[in-house]
Amino acid sequence: MLNEKPTLKSTGKALLYLLPMLIITITFNIYPILKSFIMSFYTKYDFFRDIVSQYGFDNFKFLFSDPDFHIAVKNTLIFVIGVVPLTVIISLAIALLLNRITWLSGLFRTVYFLPFVTSTVAIAQVWHWIYNGDYGLLNYFLSFFGVNAISWLESPHYAMLALIIMSVWKNLGFNIVLFLVGLNNINERYYQAAKIDGANTWHQFTNVTVPLLSPITFLVSVNGVIGSFKVFDEIFALFNGTPGPSKSALTIVYYLYQKFYTEWKYGIAAASGVVLFFMILLVTVFQLWYSKRHVHY
Amino acid sequence: MEVTFKDVSLSYDGSREILHRLNFTIPEGTLVSILGPSGCGKSTTLMMISGLLAPTSGHIFFGDEDVTKQDALQRKVGMVFQNYALYPHLKVLDNIMFPLKMAKVPKAERREKAIKLAKLVHVDDQLDKKPGSLSGGQQQRVAIARALAKEPSLLLLDEPLSNLDARLRIEMRQEIRRIQQETGVTTIFVTHDQDEALHISDHIMVLNSGKIQQFSSAETLYDNPSNLFIAQFIGEPVINTIDIEDFDDELTDHVDAEILKRAKKVGIRPEALQDHDTGADTLATITTKVKTFEKFGREKNALLDFHGKRLLTTEIEAELAEGQELPLYLQKSGFYLFDQEGTRIFGGDQDVE
Repeated sequence: MLNEKPTLKSTGKALLYLLPMLIITITFNIYPILKSFIMSFYTKYDFFRDIVSQYGFDNFKFLFSDPDFHIAVKNTLIFVIGVVPLTVIISLAIALLLNRITWLSGLFRTVYFLPFVTSTVAIAQVWHWIYNGDYGLLNYFLSFFGVNAISWLESPHYAMLALIIMSVWKNLGFNIVLFLVGLNNINERYYQAAKIDGANTWHQFTNVTVPLLSPITFLVSVNGVIGSFKVFDEIFALFNGTPGPSKSALTIVYYLYQKFYTEWKYGIAAASGVVLFFMILLVTVFQLWYSKRHVHY
Repeated sequence: MEVTFKDVSLSYDGSREILHRLNFTIPEGTLVSILGPSGCGKSTTLMMISGLLAPTSGHIFFGDEDVTKQDALQRKVGMVFQNYALYPHLKVLDNIMFPLKMAKVPKAERREKAIKLAKLVHVDDQLDKKPGSLSGGQQQRVAIARALAKEPSLLLLDEPLSNLDARLRIEMRQEIRRIQQETGVTTIFVTHDQDEALHISDHIMVLNSGKIQQFSSAETLYDNPSNLFIAQFIGEPVINTIDIEDFDDELTDHVDAEILKRAKKVGIRPEALQDHDTGADTLATITTKVKTFEKFGREKNALLDFHGKRLLTTEIEAELAEGQELPLYLQKSGFYLFDQEGTRIFGGDQDVE
């Protein structure tokens, strides 16, 4: 019944329904999150016997004085700022174009969606060749414009750019699909009304498409920011298990990975995870605040 | 502005023609309704006037100017859509100002003009709200204000009242009439509701299956329907339609034999069946049998049996019992004969002295 009052029995029943998912979530999400928060305060830890003999802020102090962590934070921010706006703009542009064509539109949509379903490792292998300094397609293409060969993956100056280009391309597929859904949801009447009101194509775009697409743009950018802050596998695959030439593509998650798996400094790894958590939280809260004023549902 | 269609046809995919060689002129400063059943092409006709749709062949004129090749941007008409299509992200004031913004009118002037229009349509107390929080009637008023903002020479309304409840509909159609008369803008109003069309317009164009059936005043449509479709479409309750064979010889002495021979269908308005002799207005008498007799408030409806066919009359004065014999007097006005093609060959003004 719809107007049923919650009783002990009905609450218990609801809990039973929720239980299977709850067990999985608690085991694999909630517990590790809590554990890593606690772990970030372990300063003396015997991991062979799982005995913590001292808690404190030493791990965070270490992070703030570790030049590697500074590089990681800087690189992560560069990556986010480089990838997210480009992804939003390019995928919106491609979605607008795809929305216009009727000829073979299904084929084109599939082609653009392919990067999303392809494994990152496979993509990285292909881009590895594209970026190849001597035989790569990209340098070959640039040579037409008189640009000298660039060693994309070996030079610390270009490694981050190479990583950003590949990530943007990889992100396009899914975001294009989201934008296409958003575009299809805009009623044709608004465009007709705008035309009647004297809006040319550009004004229709800025006054109808952009504001009415804002929920999707918001979704894509929040999703992009969170995903980009957590970047790891693209780096691992593109630079063959290294954080780029002279740490030029060292990001926070890569730093965390190194501390955890190669140096066994669990406390420091957990602390860097906590720092990342608060960075993402800060940016997402800012985005939510911004969306209150500029996103029209 | 005067709107003229010359041999305008439209087909969507090149094979299926939706509108067939429309020819009409809408006089300047009038309110004209385009009336017709669903799918008759009335909204399509409006879209072609607005420039959102281009005709497949033929020419459209605004005044003396041929606008066939111009798109909606260039034609500069005002239009109210069926679901209003107010920009959901803009406040009421910004919605009304939008066409002025597109026309690059200075901001202060824009505001002043929009507020004036909001007053005209009585939404000046809603200016800071978003369309989503307005009622249907208020949204409709805002849509009219937006359409009027750029002072169009032509205002197009596409079933603007279909989303409103019955009472509001009557109020809004009077409002539309008032606004039209205050501004004097040539207005074209699309509707499927004959009541709306009859009450609001100077002239009514009835469309059916892509052809103009009749284009005249409301009164003419009712009194002189040019064909069977109009006779059946206009009027509530619906006109009684029976075959000419259902009459024995009741009409023989009263209608020309030549016409009777060509006639196929007989149309009798419910009010043209009187239960008392009206003298010179009476055309003929028939004998019927009462099947049912109903009273609701002022209305008295009698369903009658005439040679096995059903006739409805609204003009009974006495109380009737079911099954009783009832002689009826056929009135000259409200009695029509139609030929094989459905064209009226008898009845209407020409046959009423």
